[in-house]
Amino acid sequence: MSINHNRARPVYINLLQIKLPISAISSITHRLAGIYIFFVTLPLSLFLLYFSTKSYNDFMFISSLLKDSILFSTFVAFSFLVFAYHILTGVRHLLQDMHIGESLEASRVSSYIVFFLWSVLVAAVIWRILL
Amino acid sequence: MIGSTLFYAQRLSAIFLLGYTVWLSSFFLFNQPLEFDAWSVFTDQIVFLIITSLVSLIIVIHSFIGLWTIGTDYFTSRTLGFVSPAIGKYANIIRGAYSLLFVLWGCVVIFILLFTIWS
Repeated sequence: MSINHNRARPVYINLLQIKLPISAISSITHRLAGIYIFFVTLPLSLFLLYFSTKSYNDFMFISSLLKDSILFSTFVAFSFLVFAYHILTGVRHLLQDMHIGESLEASRVSSYIVFFLWSVLVAAVIWRILL
Repeated sequence: MIGSTLFYAQRLSAIFLLGYTVWLSSFFLFNQPLEFDAWSVFTDQIVFLIITSLVSLIIVIHSFIGLWTIGTDYFTSRTLGFVSPAIGKYANIIRGAYSLLFVLWGCVVIFILLFTIWS
Protein backbone atom coordinates (compact mmCIF):
# COMPACT_ATOMS: atom_id res chain seq x y z
CA MET A 1 0.00 0.00 0.00
CA SER A 2 1.43 3.35 -1.00
CA ILE A 3 1.23 6.34 1.24
CA ASN A 4 1.05 9.84 -0.18
CA HIS A 5 3.81 11.62 1.70
CA ASN A 6 3.24 14.90 -0.10
CA ARG A 7 -0.19 15.44 1.34
CA ALA A 8 -0.09 17.73 4.37
CA ARG A 9 -1.17 15.73 7.36
CA PRO A 10 -3.07 17.45 10.14
CA VAL A 11 -0.97 18.26 13.18
CA TYR A 12 -3.63 19.99 15.25
CA ILE A 13 -7.14 18.93 16.10
CA ASN A 14 -9.80 21.24 14.66
CA LEU A 15 -12.72 20.62 16.99
CA LEU A 16 -14.99 22.69 14.74
CA GLN A 17 -14.36 20.49 11.68
CA ILE A 18 -15.24 17.23 13.39
CA LYS A 19 -18.93 16.45 12.93
CA LEU A 20 -20.06 15.40 16.38
CA PRO A 21 -22.85 12.86 16.94
CA ILE A 22 -25.68 13.86 19.30
CA SER A 23 -24.21 11.82 22.18
CA ALA A 24 -20.89 13.68 21.84
CA ILE A 25 -22.72 17.04 21.87
CA SER A 26 -24.45 15.87 25.06
CA SER A 27 -21.06 15.01 26.57
CA ILE A 28 -19.24 18.22 25.61
CA THR A 29 -22.11 20.45 26.76
CA HIS A 30 -22.06 18.53 30.07
CA ARG A 31 -18.43 19.62 30.43
CA LEU A 32 -19.14 23.23 29.43
CA ALA A 33 -22.02 23.34 31.91
CA GLY A 34 -19.64 22.00 34.57
CA ILE A 35 -17.22 24.88 33.98
CA TYR A 36 -20.09 27.39 34.11
CA ILE A 37 -21.38 25.90 37.38
CA PHE A 38 -17.97 26.00 39.07
CA PHE A 39 -17.26 29.61 38.11
CA VAL A 40 -20.76 31.16 38.08
CA THR A 41 -23.59 29.08 39.63
CA LEU A 42 -21.49 28.09 42.67
CA PRO A 43 -20.46 31.66 43.71
CA LEU A 44 -24.01 32.84 42.92
CA SER A 45 -25.38 30.15 45.27
CA LEU A 46 -22.91 31.25 47.96
CA PHE A 47 -24.06 34.85 47.50
CA LEU A 48 -27.74 33.83 47.80
CA LEU A 49 -27.06 31.55 50.79
CA TYR A 50 -25.01 34.20 52.61
CA PHE A 51 -27.56 37.00 52.30
CA SER A 52 -30.70 34.87 52.65
CA THR A 53 -29.51 33.51 56.02
CA LYS A 54 -27.81 36.70 57.32
CA SER A 55 -30.91 38.50 58.58
CA TYR A 56 -34.59 38.98 57.84
CA ASN A 57 -33.90 42.29 56.06
CA ASP A 58 -31.23 40.75 53.85
CA PHE A 59 -33.59 37.86 53.04
CA MET A 60 -36.28 40.35 52.01
CA PHE A 61 -33.73 42.29 49.96
CA ILE A 62 -32.78 39.14 48.00
CA SER A 63 -36.41 38.15 47.53
CA SER A 64 -37.39 41.64 46.29
CA LEU A 65 -34.37 41.63 43.97
CA LEU A 66 -35.61 38.33 42.49
CA LYS A 67 -39.13 39.76 42.11
CA ASP A 68 -38.32 43.22 40.76
CA SER A 69 -35.20 42.78 38.68
CA ILE A 70 -35.95 40.78 35.52
CA LEU A 71 -32.20 40.84 34.74
CA PHE A 72 -31.20 39.30 38.06
CA SER A 73 -34.00 36.71 38.11
CA THR A 74 -33.17 35.68 34.54
CA PHE A 75 -29.50 35.33 35.45
CA VAL A 76 -30.37 33.21 38.51
CA ALA A 77 -32.85 31.10 36.53
CA PHE A 78 -30.34 30.56 33.70
CA SER A 79 -27.56 29.60 36.14
CA PHE A 80 -29.73 26.99 37.87
CA LEU A 81 -31.04 25.67 34.54
CA VAL A 82 -27.42 25.08 33.49
CA PHE A 83 -26.98 23.20 36.78
CA ALA A 84 -30.13 21.14 36.04
CA TYR A 85 -28.73 20.35 32.59
CA HIS A 86 -25.45 19.16 34.13
CA ILE A 87 -27.40 16.90 36.50
CA LEU A 88 -29.61 15.42 33.75
CA THR A 89 -26.67 14.63 31.44
CA GLY A 90 -24.69 13.52 34.51
CA VAL A 91 -27.35 10.97 35.51
CA ARG A 92 -27.28 9.69 31.92
CA HIS A 93 -23.49 9.25 32.17
CA LEU A 94 -23.81 7.52 35.56
CA LEU A 95 -26.32 5.05 34.12
CA GLN A 96 -23.97 4.35 31.22
CA ASP A 97 -21.12 3.78 33.69
CA MET A 98 -23.34 1.11 35.24
CA HIS A 99 -23.68 -0.41 31.74
CA ILE A 100 -27.27 0.78 31.31
CA GLY A 101 -28.07 2.13 27.83
CA GLU A 102 -24.53 1.76 26.53
CA SER A 103 -25.34 0.81 22.93
CA LEU A 104 -25.01 3.36 20.12
CA GLU A 105 -28.78 3.49 19.58
CA ALA A 106 -29.65 3.71 23.30
CA SER A 107 -27.04 6.46 23.76
CA ARG A 108 -28.59 8.45 20.92
CA VAL A 109 -32.12 8.01 22.29
CA SER A 110 -31.10 8.94 25.86
CA SER A 111 -29.39 12.12 24.56
CA TYR A 112 -32.70 13.18 23.00
CA ILE A 113 -34.61 12.24 26.18
CA VAL A 114 -32.25 14.44 28.24
CA PHE A 115 -32.64 17.37 25.80
CA PHE A 116 -36.41 16.93 25.92
CA LEU A 117 -36.59 16.80 29.74
CA TRP A 118 -34.40 19.89 29.99
CA SER A 119 -36.54 21.77 27.42
CA VAL A 120 -39.62 21.01 29.53
CA LEU A 121 -37.80 22.39 32.58
CA VAL A 122 -36.73 25.53 30.67
CA ALA A 123 -40.33 26.07 29.50
CA ALA A 124 -41.61 25.63 33.06
CA VAL A 125 -39.12 28.17 34.44
CA ILE A 126 -39.87 30.73 31.69
CA TRP A 127 -43.58 30.23 32.44
CA ARG A 128 -42.93 30.80 36.16
CA ILE A 129 -40.90 33.99 35.54
CA LEU A 130 -43.48 35.49 33.19
CA LEU A 131 -46.42 34.55 35.43
CA MET B 1 -2.79 8.95 41.37
CA ILE B 2 -4.34 5.77 39.98
CA GLY B 3 -6.88 6.48 37.25
CA SER B 4 -9.54 4.18 38.65
CA THR B 5 -9.41 6.02 42.01
CA LEU B 6 -10.14 9.30 40.19
CA PHE B 7 -12.86 7.58 38.15
CA TYR B 8 -14.66 6.27 41.25
CA ALA B 9 -14.08 9.49 43.25
CA GLN B 10 -15.75 11.40 40.39
CA ARG B 11 -18.79 9.07 40.26
CA LEU B 12 -19.28 8.65 44.02
CA SER B 13 -19.00 12.42 44.61
CA ALA B 14 -21.52 12.93 41.79
CA ILE B 15 -24.01 10.59 43.50
CA PHE B 16 -23.49 12.36 46.84
CA LEU B 17 -24.02 15.80 45.28
CA LEU B 18 -27.08 14.50 43.41
CA GLY B 19 -28.57 13.34 46.72
CA TYR B 20 -27.81 16.72 48.33
CA THR B 21 -29.44 18.55 45.38
CA VAL B 22 -32.57 16.39 45.63
CA TRP B 23 -32.72 17.05 49.40
CA LEU B 24 -32.47 20.85 48.99
CA SER B 25 -34.84 20.89 45.99
CA SER B 26 -37.49 18.95 47.91
CA PHE B 27 -37.22 21.47 50.77
CA PHE B 28 -37.79 24.37 48.33
CA LEU B 29 -40.60 22.49 46.61
CA PHE B 30 -42.52 21.82 49.85
CA ASN B 31 -41.91 25.32 51.27
CA GLN B 32 -43.43 27.54 48.59
CA PRO B 33 -43.43 30.50 48.91
CA LEU B 34 -40.18 30.44 50.88
CA GLU B 35 -40.33 32.21 54.24
CA PHE B 36 -37.32 33.47 56.20
CA ASP B 37 -38.31 31.53 59.35
CA ALA B 38 -38.59 28.14 57.67
CA TRP B 39 -35.37 28.78 55.74
CA SER B 40 -33.33 29.79 58.80
CA VAL B 41 -34.65 26.86 60.85
CA PHE B 42 -33.61 24.56 57.99
CA THR B 43 -30.12 26.07 57.59
CA ASP B 44 -29.48 26.20 61.36
CA GLN B 45 -30.11 22.51 62.02
CA ILE B 46 -27.00 20.46 62.75
CA VAL B 47 -27.76 17.96 59.91
CA PHE B 48 -27.63 20.80 57.37
CA LEU B 49 -24.37 22.19 58.81
CA ILE B 50 -22.58 18.84 58.80
CA ILE B 51 -23.79 17.69 55.38
CA THR B 52 -23.12 21.09 53.79
CA SER B 53 -19.60 21.13 55.26
CA LEU B 54 -19.04 17.70 53.69
CA VAL B 55 -20.52 19.00 50.45
CA SER B 56 -18.06 21.91 50.32
CA LEU B 57 -15.20 19.40 50.28
CA ILE B 58 -16.92 17.00 47.87
CA ILE B 59 -17.82 19.79 45.40
CA VAL B 60 -14.14 20.75 45.24
CA ILE B 61 -13.00 17.13 44.71
CA HIS B 62 -15.65 16.60 42.00
CA SER B 63 -14.79 19.91 40.29
CA PHE B 64 -11.04 19.31 40.51
CA ILE B 65 -11.25 15.94 38.71
CA GLY B 66 -13.66 17.31 36.07
CA LEU B 67 -11.70 20.49 35.37
CA TRP B 68 -8.37 18.64 35.40
CA THR B 69 -9.76 16.18 32.81
CA ILE B 70 -10.94 19.08 30.62
CA GLY B 71 -7.51 20.72 30.93
CA THR B 72 -5.57 17.65 29.85
CA ASP B 73 -8.08 16.99 27.04
CA TYR B 74 -8.29 20.45 25.49
CA PHE B 75 -5.45 22.64 26.78
CA THR B 76 -2.70 20.73 24.99
CA SER B 77 -0.32 21.81 22.22
CA ARG B 78 -2.38 19.79 19.72
CA THR B 79 -5.70 21.49 20.45
CA LEU B 80 -4.43 24.98 21.32
CA GLY B 81 -2.13 24.78 18.28
CA PHE B 82 -5.27 24.80 16.15
CA VAL B 83 -6.03 28.31 17.41
CA SER B 84 -2.45 29.38 16.70
CA PRO B 85 0.83 27.38 16.66
CA ALA B 86 2.41 30.19 18.71
CA ILE B 87 -0.15 29.65 21.47
CA GLY B 88 0.28 25.88 21.16
CA LYS B 89 3.93 26.20 22.21
CA TYR B 90 2.84 27.60 25.56
CA ALA B 91 0.15 24.94 26.15
CA ASN B 92 1.81 23.58 29.31
CA ILE B 93 2.09 27.05 30.84
CA ILE B 94 -1.52 27.89 29.91
CA ARG B 95 -2.74 24.60 31.40
CA GLY B 96 -0.71 25.25 34.55
CA ALA B 97 -2.21 28.73 34.94
CA TYR B 98 -5.70 27.33 34.37
CA SER B 99 -5.09 24.59 36.99
CA LEU B 100 -3.79 27.15 39.48
CA LEU B 101 -6.88 29.30 38.85
CA PHE B 102 -9.39 26.56 39.62
CA VAL B 103 -7.44 25.21 42.62
CA LEU B 104 -7.34 28.71 44.18
CA TRP B 105 -11.00 29.25 43.30
CA GLY B 106 -11.84 25.91 44.95
CA CYS B 107 -10.10 27.03 48.17
CA VAL B 108 -12.05 30.31 48.12
CA VAL B 109 -15.33 28.39 47.64
CA ILE B 110 -14.64 26.05 50.61
CA PHE B 111 -13.68 29.02 52.82
CA ILE B 112 -16.74 31.15 51.94
CA LEU B 113 -19.19 28.24 52.23
CA LEU B 114 -17.86 27.13 55.64
CA PHE B 115 -17.74 30.75 56.85
CA THR B 116 -21.33 31.37 55.67
CA ILE B 117 -22.96 28.37 57.29
CA TRP B 118 -21.03 28.30 60.58
CA SER B 119 -21.00 32.07 61.29
